[in-house]
Amino acid sequence: MNASLSGRAASLYTMLALGYAFLYLPIVLLVIYSFNASRLVTVWGGFSTHWYAELLHDDKVLDAAWLSLKVAVVTATGATVLGTLASVLLVRFKRYPGSTLFAGMVAAPLVMPEIITGLAMLLMFVAMEQTIGWPAGRSMTTIVIAHITFCLSFVTVVVRSRLAQMDMSLEEAAMDLGARPLKVFLVITLPLIAPALMAGWLLAFTLSVDDLVISSFVTGPSATTLPIVIFSKVRLGVSPEINALASVFVAFVGCAIALGGTLSRKQD
Amino acid sequence: MSARGTLKQKVGRFLVALPPYGWLVVFFLLPFLIVLKISLSELQAAIPPYKAIFAWAEDGILQLRLNFGNYSYLFSDELYALAYLNSLKVAAISTALTLLIGYPMAYTIARSPARYRNPLLMLVVLPFWTSLLIRVYSWMGILKNEGLLNSFLMWLGIIDSPIQIMETNTAVYIGIVYSYLPYMILPLYATLEKMDLTLLEAAADLGCPPFKAFLKITLPLSMPGVIAGTLLVFIPAVGEFVIPDLLGGPDTLMIGKVIWAEFFDNRDWPVASAVAVAILILLVVPIMLYQRNESRAEAK
Amino acid sequence: MGKKWAVFGFMAAALALSAPLAGQAAEEKVLNVYNWSDYIAPDTIEKFTKATGIKVNYDVYDSNETLFAKLQAGQSGYDLVFPSATPFLAQGIKAGIFKTLDRSKITRWSSLDPTMLKAMEIADPGNSHGVPYMVAATGIGYNIDKIKKILGADAKPDSWSLIFDPAVVAKLKECGVSLLDTPTEVFPAALIYAGKKGDSIDKADINAAADQVLKIRPFIKYFHSSKYINDLANGDTCVAHGYVGDLVQARTRANEANKGVHIAIYIPKEGAVLNIDAAAVPADAPHPENAQAFIDFLLQPDIIAAVTNNVGFANAVMPAKALVKKDLQTDPAIYPPADMQAKEFELPLVTPDYERLRTRAWTKVKTGL
Repeated sequence: MNASLSGRAASLYTMLALGYAFLYLPIVLLVIYSFNASRLVTVWGGFSTHWYAELLHDDKVLDAAWLSLKVAVVTATGATVLGTLASVLLVRFKRYPGSTLFAGMVAAPLVMPEIITGLAMLLMFVAMEQTIGWPAGRSMTTIVIAHITFCLSFVTVVVRSRLAQMDMSLEEAAMDLGARPLKVFLVITLPLIAPALMAGWLLAFTLSVDDLVISSFVTGPSATTLPIVIFSKVRLGVSPEINALASVFVAFVGCAIALGGTLSRKQD
Repeated sequence: MSARGTLKQKVGRFLVALPPYGWLVVFFLLPFLIVLKISLSELQAAIPPYKAIFAWAEDGILQLRLNFGNYSYLFSDELYALAYLNSLKVAAISTALTLLIGYPMAYTIARSPARYRNPLLMLVVLPFWTSLLIRVYSWMGILKNEGLLNSFLMWLGIIDSPIQIMETNTAVYIGIVYSYLPYMILPLYATLEKMDLTLLEAAADLGCPPFKAFLKITLPLSMPGVIAGTLLVFIPAVGEFVIPDLLGGPDTLMIGKVIWAEFFDNRDWPVASAVAVAILILLVVPIMLYQRNESRAEAK
Repeated sequence: MGKKWAVFGFMAAALALSAPLAGQAAEEKVLNVYNWSDYIAPDTIEKFTKATGIKVNYDVYDSNETLFAKLQAGQSGYDLVFPSATPFLAQGIKAGIFKTLDRSKITRWSSLDPTMLKAMEIADPGNSHGVPYMVAATGIGYNIDKIKKILGADAKPDSWSLIFDPAVVAKLKECGVSLLDTPTEVFPAALIYAGKKGDSIDKADINAAADQVLKIRPFIKYFHSSKYINDLANGDTCVAHGYVGDLVQARTRANEANKGVHIAIYIPKEGAVLNIDAAAVPADAPHPENAQAFIDFLLQPDIIAAVTNNVGFANAVMPAKALVKKDLQTDPAIYPPADMQAKEFELPLVTPDYERLRTRAWTKVKTGL
């Protein structure tokens, strides 16, 4: 019985719709301005699609966008795995040597100002390069490592709260029936915390794709991410070409979501 | 059996603990120790721009030169304390607003028909896969005096002349709420999604009005999510720099901007590091103590 | 004892691993350039690669500070960078960040303007580490029609008083006045207006400058070092303190947008700060030879003139002036006449203590704390 939403459904869905309107208002504007004839992004100068044409030829932006996507996928997956393990440590393992330190280390990247995190990681990479020769210069590796480190904290907060409120009796029952801890975790715990893992993955992906300050320290000649390219162009104002890129992205993912929604509908 | 079982258990636990623990030790603790080292050293013109704190003296004894001057400097100037307090204020207000807007959204998504939930969730996150900068610029276009919001309000006749929103704290609040909304919605959703609906059904059957049921049942059960979301918005918002820089005015004083000024304008890595270490201690130590208390209480 | 040998062995191994790099004779045909955004002509890189076969990785930054932080950390991987002469090139030279240039590799050195070279010597003694790339003074841009409406139809601003005279700025408050967000530009301008020396390094003058700015602080819309370009072009502000090259960009954009915004630019008659951005090679650059080849390539008159045409900043190559677009060539803000040039000055070098005082005074001016 869907007693949950029937009575107040209208008002709740209205609030949700308003929320989406708030979220998408700037997006709608930026899509509109991607068709702007002049170079400005806040004053309309006429309709034109030439920014999309320029985008196709702008290797720098396209390469950076592609790298950002790759980094974000690897980061989100790595951070979710490590974050889940960290949550298990924090919630299930309770006390062990170094548990307080671990709690501090997990929380700290959230607190540290990004400039300092970025700088510290850069200096460490430089020191590592000088002593053991790895990592060689700034590359996708350094960016991924830096991103996983700070995203890990965010994912841990999300997964941990869900894990903490999980009913232990299911796990205990399974173990009483003779199942080994690993199997219990994979078959019982993981499915139960799956929404938290999904939320954590999306969160880490978003953080990584949009990260500016930390990335600006750990990028270099052979690897630069999209936010850096955009930020460095901001000196003379954001060009509608970037709006075009964002619009393409929104359209692409929007279609993917719609497609996914229709497909699962058909399955029902 | 018990000895082997315990050993197996211990090995298993070690393997689970190793990846996150090891990762954080190498990629967080070591860099943090570097920052700590910088905060205790002196400025110098070189690569890197601070003096080494270890030095070999002529008689072969390792010398340690620690400079606490950077920390005492922080206390001598009220700017740092005021900037920090102001950052806390701005972050707190923004977090409260984010919670107000995010909770109903997360709630509605979590309780919508199952097949819509993932798409709705992704629609929440999708705007944030466009660059932060272009979204902020779009907001600038909306909030400025000749922008969309003011034009709309004047067209409606509600106001006669534009309201100054840009370059004020209000614009910063809007910017932070907008940018941090997913960080509030996602954890809330994760908690609300698996709420036991039978509790609410029982309350309804017993004649409890919906809003009271919400206050007494839903809200307390969703507390872990609320706390998680609050932490994920409040803590990073304290150190936020880009949004106050673009949307705020000269009197929007935040600790992120102060660190930026120390690091980039003064090129004083030691002081910038000292500010960061001070912030870290102020915010992380309570979290560590909290965790210690929690595990002690549960172990009993 | 065993540990010591282990460490020794480890270091020896590390050294052995890095030896092949040290023995490299010819550089690979790659060049990593790190430059300001929008600070080159669209075809410069292409032409260079065609002429030399060297592939160029071109990254951009938006501020000297970002560049400098990367260089200070070491091993940035970049071969050619473009710091501003004062204070960044100067401080970098002191810190050993930049390489001494090999003049024999830069064949077109003699075509550089000696006045520019001399101006740069304050930062780069003997001109040994940097080559002037783009030159611009800091000036004022304003919306012609709006200023005429507020200050009178025969208003022809040519002085710092447009932004520093409280009586004038008060009238312009509604319209919107913006200042650069750095004390290194605003304080010297304030000092000149107050009748003092703009390049003073007297600590007492920091407060004098701060007081001068505080008098007009209530009438300033915002402090920013790049937002003004779009805002002036959009018509959102009507007076902007900015770098002449960027103001030229604003003017171009306003003309393109065709919304009736007309911008005029001038260097105030009392004198102004001169900014020279220099091409320099980091000491740990992997491909220094290629970097110097690129510098030499840039000094070709047609190449550098194309950059000026695109970017709105003047260059320091004498034969190139004739190839610059006519309207830029004759613009006194971009190529000021000799008497104006004499009043321009480079920023003086200062100690970290002075900088700290200056930054603190600046925060006070902006926030009141």
